[in-house]
Amino acid sequence: MSFRKWFKFVNSNEFIFGEGGGRGTNSNSSNTTSSSSPSLLKTLSHAFKEKDKIKKSIIADDQIKTIGASFSHLNISTENISSISQLQSLSSLNKNSKQSKRNSFKLDRYSSEKTTPRHSDQYTDLDDDWNADFDNGINIKSSQFLEYPTLRSKKSKQQQQNLYGDDNNTVVPTPETPKSIKEAEEKSALESKYNKFKQVLDESNIDLNKLKKLSWNGIPDELRSISWQLLIGYSPPNSNRRSSQLSRKRQEYLEGIKQVFSVEKEPSTWHQIEIDIPRTNSKIKLYSSEITQRSLERILYLWAVRHPASGYVQGINDLVTPFFQTFLNQYNKDKSISIEDFNPEILTEDELNAVEADTFWCLTKLLEGIQDNYIHAQPGIIRQVNGLKDLITRIDYELSQHLENENIEFIQFSFRWMNCLLMREISIQNTIRMWDTYLSEVNGFNEFHVYVCAAFLVKWSDELKTMDFQDIMMFLQNPPTKDWTNKDIELLLSEAFIWQSLYKNASAHLK
Amino acid sequence: MSNDLDDYSYDYEYLFKIVLIGDSGVGKSNLLTRFTRNEFNLESRSTIGVEFATRTIEIDNKRIKAQIWDTAGQERYRAITSAYYRGAVGALIVYDISKSESYESVSKWLKELRDHADENIVIELVGNKSDLDHLRAVPTEEAKHFSAENHLLFTEASALNADNVDLSFKQLLKSIYKMVSKHQLDLSDYSGNKPSAGQTISLTPTPGSAVGGSQKTKNNCC
Repeated sequence: MSFRKWFKFVNSNEFIFGEGGGRGTNSNSSNTTSSSSPSLLKTLSHAFKEKDKIKKSIIADDQIKTIGASFSHLNISTENISSISQLQSLSSLNKNSKQSKRNSFKLDRYSSEKTTPRHSDQYTDLDDDWNADFDNGINIKSSQFLEYPTLRSKKSKQQQQNLYGDDNNTVVPTPETPKSIKEAEEKSALESKYNKFKQVLDESNIDLNKLKKLSWNGIPDELRSISWQLLIGYSPPNSNRRSSQLSRKRQEYLEGIKQVFSVEKEPSTWHQIEIDIPRTNSKIKLYSSEITQRSLERILYLWAVRHPASGYVQGINDLVTPFFQTFLNQYNKDKSISIEDFNPEILTEDELNAVEADTFWCLTKLLEGIQDNYIHAQPGIIRQVNGLKDLITRIDYELSQHLENENIEFIQFSFRWMNCLLMREISIQNTIRMWDTYLSEVNGFNEFHVYVCAAFLVKWSDELKTMDFQDIMMFLQNPPTKDWTNKDIELLLSEAFIWQSLYKNASAHLK
Repeated sequence: MSNDLDDYSYDYEYLFKIVLIGDSGVGKSNLLTRFTRNEFNLESRSTIGVEFATRTIEIDNKRIKAQIWDTAGQERYRAITSAYYRGAVGALIVYDISKSESYESVSKWLKELRDHADENIVIELVGNKSDLDHLRAVPTEEAKHFSAENHLLFTEASALNADNVDLSFKQLLKSIYKMVSKHQLDLSDYSGNKPSAGQTISLTPTPGSAVGGSQKTKNNCC
C-alpha cells in the first residue's frame, strides 16, 4: 500500500469529521508535547498501522467511492462506515494524524531556521528599511498552528478601511438571519476566525508569527489586504510607522512611474506587456476594464525596467492579478458584487494610486524570492521541475514509472505550473486562498509550491496511470479544476504540507 | 466537434510531430485550435512553455496523425522551447501580415530550426491574420519570394475566419508524407542501425501499422 493512499485516507477521514460534527477539527482541543523528529516518525508510523487496520475492517475492496463533486478524490465514503466502533477508531486515527501534522510542522519550522532565504542581488532597493519584518525572526513556538478550516470565507458587510488598512472601524460581519443550524455554526465560526485575526492585527506591534499561524488556514476576505501586506514584508508590523511608510512607498512608486514614462519606452518590453494585458484573465470583467488594464501595464513596465536581468516574462502578468484584485477588494463595499465584476472607476485617484502602488511593491517582494524563475534559461523553474520529478518518485513510484514508460517529460507539463504558480490550472479565487498559505510559509512560492504541485499531480494518479502519452498531456494541460472550491485547495495544501514535512530536508542524503 | 475532427488515437498509420513557432502574438495558438478543434478565441491566454494538440487527417487513403506542439513566442522561453524541436518532422513559422516586425523575425526563427531541428524538417511559412488585409504590412509577393528562396512552403491564412487554416496544415503534412514515403522506398532495405527520416516520424507506436512503427524506447518527444 502506498503512502499516498494512506494519506488520502487520513485526510478524507479528517474532513468527514470536520464537516459532520466538527469533531477533531480544532487543534486547540488537544495538547502537543513533543516536536522532535523521532516522535514525528513514531506518530506517523503509528498512524500508518492504525490506518491499515481500520481500512481492512471497513473497506471491502480497493474500489473507492467518492463523496461528491468537490471531494471526488477522497477514498472513503460514509457508506463504508458500518458501526459505531469503526467510527470511534476513525476518530482516534483522526486525532493521531492531526497530532502528527502539528509535530511535523514544528519540525519543519525549526529546521527551516537554518536556511537563509535566497536574495536577489540584481536590483537593490534604495530604501533599505522598507523590509517591514526586519525585527521578526521566524520562531513559531505554539503548537496550535494547524487549525483545519471547515468553512469557506463568506463575504460580509464591512466598512471601508482607510488607505492604510489600519483603522479600527472595520466591523465584524453583520449577521443575517441564519437559515439552518449549520449556517449559524458557519457564521459563528467565521466570526470567531475574524475576531482572532482582528485581535492580532489590532496590536500596536503585530506579531507576524501569530499572523502566519492564523493565515496558513485562510484569511477572511475583509482582512486579506492588510494581512498580505504584512506577511510579504511590505507593510510594517509597527502601527506607528505604518502610515508614514506606506505613503512614502506610494509616493516613491508614483515618482518611478513618472520617471520611466517620461523617456522613450523600451520597445520590446512595452510591446510584450501591451499584447499580454488584454489577454490576462480576459474572461473576467474586472480585467477588461480600461482602468485595470492601464494600471497593470504601468506596474509591469516599471517592474521590468527596474529588473533588467529578467525583464518582463510572460506569466508575470498572471502573478500581479491576485494582489491587484485583493487590494482593490477593500473598496468593494457592496459585497453582493463579486470583486471579479467590480468596476474600479468608482475609486478616487488617490485610492487607485494606492492600490496600484501597493500591488507594485508586493509583486516586487514576491518576485524577489523567485527571480531565478525568469532570468535567462529559467534555472529556478528547471530546479523546481527536477524537484517535482524527484518527489513523485518517492511519493508515487508507480506513477513516476508510468510517466517514464509513456515518455512524458516533467518539463512538458509542469513548466507552466512553476512559471505561473498553478494560476493557469486553478481559478484566481482559488489562487488567492492558496497564497494565504504560501505567504505564511517560509519559502512558499518556490519550495512549498513544489510540494503543492506534487499533491496536484498525485491527485490524478489513478486516472493518469490508465492513460497514454497523448491523453496524459491533454489531461494535464486542462485538468478538471473548474468547479474547485477553497476546500479543494485546502486539501491540496494540507497534502503538500505532509509531503514537505516528510521530504523537505531528506532529499540531500538520498540523492 | 464534427466527425472530420474526430481523433481516433490509435487509428493511424503515420504520426508526424509538428512545431508551431513565431513571434508572440501572431496567432499560433489560434491557428492550432482552429485546426484541431475549430475554435477561435480573440483573447486567448498567452502560451507558457508548450501546449500540445493532435488531429488525424487522411492523405492517399492513409490516416496521418499530426501531433502539434504550440510554443511560447517570447524570447525568454527560447532556451526551453528549442528542446521541443527534437523529433519534429515539420514546422510552421507564423508571422502576422499586419506586423512587419513579426515578419522580420522569420529569418531568426529559420535559424533556430537550422540550429536545433532535424536537417530534413519540412518548413512552411504562414502569414496569419489575412483578414486584416486593410492593415497589411507585409506584401504577399515578398513573403512568397522569400519562401521560394529558402525552400519553404507558403500560405496566408486567417485563424479568425478559418481561411486557409486547414490548407496550411494539410499542405505541410502532405509534403512530409511525400518525403517520408519516398524515403521508405529508398530505405526499403533499411537495417535499423542508423537514424532515418522514416524513424523520426514515429514518436509513439502505431498499432496495426506495418510502416513507421518505431520502438517505444525511442519515443522521445522533446
